[in-house]
Amino acid sequence: METGIRVLLLSALVALSGCASIHHLFHRHDAQPASDAATTDKDADAQPPRVIDPQIERRKIKVPKIKSQNVELGLQFGSLSIENFGTNPVYGVTAAYHISEDFFFQGAYGRSTAGRTSFETLSNIQLITPSERHFTYYDLSLGYNFLPGEVFLGSKVAMTSAFYLLAGIGSTDFAGDSKFTVNFGGGYRVLPTDRIALHIGVEDHVFQSDLLGVDKLTNNLEATIGASVFF
Amino acid sequence: MQRLLSARRLLLLLLLAAPGLCGAREYLQVFVTSPYLELHTGPGRGYPVFNVVERDGSVDVLAHYTEWFKVRTERDVVGWVSERDMLHTALADGSAFTFERGDRAGFSSHHFETGMFAGAYGGATLISAYSSFSFNSQLALEVSVGQFLGNASNGVVGDIGLAHVFLPEWRWSPFVTLGTGVVHTEPKATLVQPLNRTEQTAYVGGGVRYYLTRRFFLRAEYRNHIVFTKLNSNEEVEEWKLGFAFFY
Repeated sequence: METGIRVLLLSALVALSGCASIHHLFHRHDAQPASDAATTDKDADAQPPRVIDPQIERRKIKVPKIKSQNVELGLQFGSLSIENFGTNPVYGVTAAYHISEDFFFQGAYGRSTAGRTSFETLSNIQLITPSERHFTYYDLSLGYNFLPGEVFLGSKVAMTSAFYLLAGIGSTDFAGDSKFTVNFGGGYRVLPTDRIALHIGVEDHVFQSDLLGVDKLTNNLEATIGASVFF
Repeated sequence: MQRLLSARRLLLLLLLAAPGLCGAREYLQVFVTSPYLELHTGPGRGYPVFNVVERDGSVDVLAHYTEWFKVRTERDVVGWVSERDMLHTALADGSAFTFERGDRAGFSSHHFETGMFAGAYGGATLISAYSSFSFNSQLALEVSVGQFLGNASNGVVGDIGLAHVFLPEWRWSPFVTLGTGVVHTEPKATLVQPLNRTEQTAYVGGGVRYYLTRRFFLRAEYRNHIVFTKLNSNEEVEEWKLGFAFFY
């Protein structure tokens, strides 16, 4: 009896599931949109009404500006040997722009006052007036850094350093005339901090002069020490 | 347990919001996206590597000197990183850290140029310098000053004008210039008319730029100046110059 009821229930279950699967097979495509629509309706009903429309914007990151330190302004002081006019103090200013780790452009301006030639001392005749004795030069040069390195003070302090070569063109005002001048030289630079540099340099300013009767190239050697700041 | 969890969540939120609450950072923070970032002891290719920052670590960018960045790591180590290595870093929002490099793209399109020349101005030796501001890759406003030193006279020239560059993306790029200026001439005292004079000029010219490397290029230029003299006829002066320049 019990077995009979079980068989009956089981066959009923199989028949029902078969009907369901057949129904599913035939009506799947028709039923789909309807069920979808029903779901969206339900979702819309489920969501609470919007009171405030959230407008969240992505936070803009303010990028801090990176300080560049390619411009170098400096002061220099030293001695200038003006050919035939003795050695005299010279002071000047420099401005440089560092283009790469190897090259830099430099503009320099310097002033000195010439002394007396040996002829003037012996004969007591003035070749040029006192105002013409002012020796003023400017030049535009290209510099090349070589042998970069570090200087160590004890075990805690290390300072970067480099030798450099300079060559350029400019003009020299001396003895009442302006002369086209070629300058070349070299120097050594050491940086106690990343912003401050100390320099030792030697440079030759060469120009044509006929001041003493003969037209010739004059060499005017300059040795300076200086300090500069990077901006 | 639930309360503990929400307290933790609150703390986490606070931590996340902390940088925003504390205000803007003083230095730009970048994150390493390459396996590691090398720190050199100085701003040059020869300086030894003494420290590295691993991937996802961050550094503060303190300064930029030529092709090198001075950075500080999270552990307060300060060193120098090359521009090439800095290309493999990202900003806090995940975007790549970009900066202006001295390359061909920069040569084609940049804001400023400065250079110096040697040349001839009406037979006299010329020393000259110029700076320009570019409105776009082709049109620039140029200002140049120069001094000429000759046998008959010395003087200074100052010009302002426009330059139009053809084919700025080419290594050899020609350009034309047009502008106006002044010339101050000081005849040598030995001549008959030792009067200094300042006259207005107008010029038209052209030249060529040649990209060398990094930020460098060569520039050769010709200008034909018309000097508006007080005499019956105007004077024509030819100017030739060749020099170095760099862009930034």
